[in-house]
Amino acid sequence: MTIRFVFLQANTLRPYLTCIRNTLTAAMCLQNFPCQEVERHNKPEVEFKTSKELLLNPILICRNEAEKCLIESSINSLRISIKVKQADELENILAKKFLRFLSMRAESFQVLRRKPVQGYDISFLITNFHCEEMFKHKLIDFVVAFMEDIDKEISELKLSVNTRGRLVATEFLRQFT
Amino acid sequence: MADDEDNASSVLDADTFIETESPEVIIARIEGKSRQVERLLRIPQYAEALETALMDAPTQTRDERCKSANWILVHRVLMATKDVDGLLMGLNPELHDILMKYLYRGLATGDRITCDLCLRLHERLFDMAGIGCIMRAISDTQNLV
Repeated sequence: MTIRFVFLQANTLRPYLTCIRNTLTAAMCLQNFPCQEVERHNKPEVEFKTSKELLLNPILICRNEAEKCLIESSINSLRISIKVKQADELENILAKKFLRFLSMRAESFQVLRRKPVQGYDISFLITNFHCEEMFKHKLIDFVVAFMEDIDKEISELKLSVNTRGRLVATEFLRQFT
Repeated sequence: MADDEDNASSVLDADTFIETESPEVIIARIEGKSRQVERLLRIPQYAEALETALMDAPTQTRDERCKSANWILVHRVLMATKDVDGLLMGLNPELHDILMKYLYRGLATGDRITCDLCLRLHERLFDMAGIGCIMRAISDTQNLV
């Protein structure tokens, strides 16, 4: 029963990632656009949302009730927010800690946002400057690979926590036998 | 500068949006379409049913009921179809963009079965219609489905 469930889950992962990849390829058409309201300012329009004509429709792609991905695009920036699968309390805590660890080091990732958007676990902010420095298709590969690896990482962390707990409990209770 | 501001606001102002048909007329039309779609699904002719559902979609209105009614109709057709490839092969290319908008609406619902179906359809439609289809679906802020 569990093997079949895992297989079904894997079945929707491919189309989910393909959909996100295709949508990102379409949404990541960014160009430099200095701020219209303030002189000499250049802001990512998707964050401020001051002018409606500069924003595209936000796209929400859900895989199921627990996992979803919000893609908001504008003329000079793109924001991708991801909610990862959290099956139980332990995965909830692990995901929160792990993604907070990554978000705190957002400087080195460049495209990561320091705080995730409300309702999501982690967010990326890609601006036209990133697209000028880096390849667009490589940026998309990074985001999609990130999504694939996150699930694996959290499963590994969960496994190691459970193994460690079992070992500690065995050692501790040995003294009473 | 003041002129530009006025122009920009009038283009996007919801109040100045001219509605050619009243919501009641649109809902009556959608009900007529739903009877036709049920008939076509019983035969079964899935491609024609989908075309009927997508044709004259209420994009030119702001009324949420009309949009929901048409979405329910499109959803009904998509759930009833068994053969995804055949369905898309027989579809009129002009309706690709509107179908893509409905697929994104389906993906936003979060319901597992709907999302599963919409993801598969999205992949097939992207192979057929190309990236321009997605671009038109996300950049069209006026004709929302």
